[in-house]
Amino acid sequence: MSSTNPPELPSEEELAAMSREDLVRLGAKLDGVEFIEYPDPWPVKGTRAEKRAERLVALWFLIAAAAGLAFVGIFLFWPSAYTAPGTDGYTLYSLYTPLIGATLGLSVLAVGVGALLYTKKFIPHEVAVQDRHDGGSSELDKATIVAELSDAGNRSTIARRSLIKRTAGLGAGAMGLGVGVFALGGLVRDPWAQTDSENSLWHTGWKSDNGERVYLRRATGDPEEVALVKPSDLDAGGMETVFPFRESERKDHEALSKALKRSDNPVMLIRLRPEDGRKVIKHQGQEDFNYGDYYAYTKICSHLGCPTSLYEQRTNRILCPCHQSQFNALEYCKPIFGPATRKLAQLPIAVDEETGYLYARSDFTEPVGPAFWERKS
Amino acid sequence: MIKKLRSRGSKLRRRVAGLLALGFALMSVGVLYSAFAPQAPVAQAQGDSAQVRQGELVYNKTCISCHGANLEGVTDRGPSLIGIGEASVYFQTATGRMPAVRQEAQAERKPPKLSPEEIDQVSAFVQAHGGGTTLPKESGSQLVGDNPARGGELFRLNCASCHNFTGRGGALSSGKYAPALDGVTETEIYAAMLTGPQNMPKFSDRQLTPEEKKDIVAYVKSVTDGNNNPGGNPIGGLGPQSEGLIAFIVGIAALVGITLWIGAKA
Repeated sequence: MSSTNPPELPSEEELAAMSREDLVRLGAKLDGVEFIEYPDPWPVKGTRAEKRAERLVALWFLIAAAAGLAFVGIFLFWPSAYTAPGTDGYTLYSLYTPLIGATLGLSVLAVGVGALLYTKKFIPHEVAVQDRHDGGSSELDKATIVAELSDAGNRSTIARRSLIKRTAGLGAGAMGLGVGVFALGGLVRDPWAQTDSENSLWHTGWKSDNGERVYLRRATGDPEEVALVKPSDLDAGGMETVFPFRESERKDHEALSKALKRSDNPVMLIRLRPEDGRKVIKHQGQEDFNYGDYYAYTKICSHLGCPTSLYEQRTNRILCPCHQSQFNALEYCKPIFGPATRKLAQLPIAVDEETGYLYARSDFTEPVGPAFWERKS
Repeated sequence: MIKKLRSRGSKLRRRVAGLLALGFALMSVGVLYSAFAPQAPVAQAQGDSAQVRQGELVYNKTCISCHGANLEGVTDRGPSLIGIGEASVYFQTATGRMPAVRQEAQAERKPPKLSPEEIDQVSAFVQAHGGGTTLPKESGSQLVGDNPARGGELFRLNCASCHNFTGRGGALSSGKYAPALDGVTETEIYAAMLTGPQNMPKFSDRQLTPEEKKDIVAYVKSVTDGNNNPGGNPIGGLGPQSEGLIAFIVGIAALVGITLWIGAKA
């Protein structure tokens, strides 16, 4: 601005006499802007073309209104509860999601089209030219701003108050340390720290802290329903996913539901076919972990922790769907193919003498899932 | 003469005694054999005898070369059928898996070779020899439970690891696979759960109750045969990956096209 001559400013009387259009042009001129073209899109008022354009814009806004109201009506009153295919009302139900999407989408789209059309049809398309500012600030501006800043620093006397400088550094540093610990501390976890907790990497939800018996429980789709497993329940060549259950949790809704969701809880209970059961090779020290033809292995893959439950009852292989690791159920679930290098941990099971239900004699004797630094085996 | 007669008489007596002794020895050996010999694993025919006899004819025509004359199985060809039950025979023949075309990793589904009557007859024949799992009394739409939501939970826990969560099927080891569940009847799904065909585990009625099985059937029916296809194309039915990719490609292309169009109009 300093390089161009400022326009002549009007006196107060002249200002009072100026029309709105003159004021607009003056304001633009003060900003260095000059209008070349500023046409009225409809120079002759009330033509049929202008009326048509107006009705077109209004039509789009009306479409937006109708679609919006239709959305509200469908959202509130259309039958939206799940209906199985082949039953009455399925067609209506299946239209629910497409309809609310289409109506609300049309409403949003119509508002946009209406606004766009209004801009195109009725807002003047002006051509304006603005001066371009060349080069940096003038030497005068540069010298004065530097002087102002250094003067302010000097008057604050911070340069010679070393006590304030040091304590400020200390306070800000300690605060930064606190923020850093807060942000990172939650991410640091030492698996060694709680070797006895079932929440450590060494144990699972099958660990019994107070010696209470942990039974095998099946999921029935209702977390409140407690269904325990008897040895007669599975056919030979059957497989079932079981979860831990303690009698003290029978009325505890949260614990019952949590047991089904804990990530290290799922266990595959496999009943081998009798002819395969005779071929089993057991791991040293785990000879009595099975109950007859029943073997319980963790469902968590020893490679990266996927649910490895693709049990093939004829070949007795267990396949992990993530990276195609295969485990041999006839040989303590040792890996026979794929990236996994460790066997699936086996859960020692037995039958309760009184009730006849299967229970876990203890937690797994080794960690389940992928390796971690402190794990030696 | 008398001496002669006597000698002849004693000769006769000795002969009769010898025959008796031989007969007694043979009989006792037979009794001992039947007492100590292992019981042949062939059960006696029972049930509707006309149906069973017809079934034997069908069996001798179509099954005998791999499963043996007494259902005992043939090494490297086919397993023993004693004790597998009518549900298993129904599943294998109604889905066309049996009779199999050739020995391979897994018998494939194909149009059934046997007529429904022949399937009933051969099922009765196998059921009469050693018993086994029977089909439920209901069939067809009677096997569709009324709680597909619970069926979905049970399906995701017990079935989805192999069959995919909407029944698209998936790969198993060494060329085997879990088939997609499209075009499978309710009775076939139910029989498959009961009998564990090929490498599928068995799910007994004590593990999954008949009601739970029916709910699973209801869920499978609600997501297969194009029922889980509101957009017109299932895009593999594999979930967010393929859908997200298509939405990204189509959506970005549409946005770029509209942007170009607006730019050209301005």
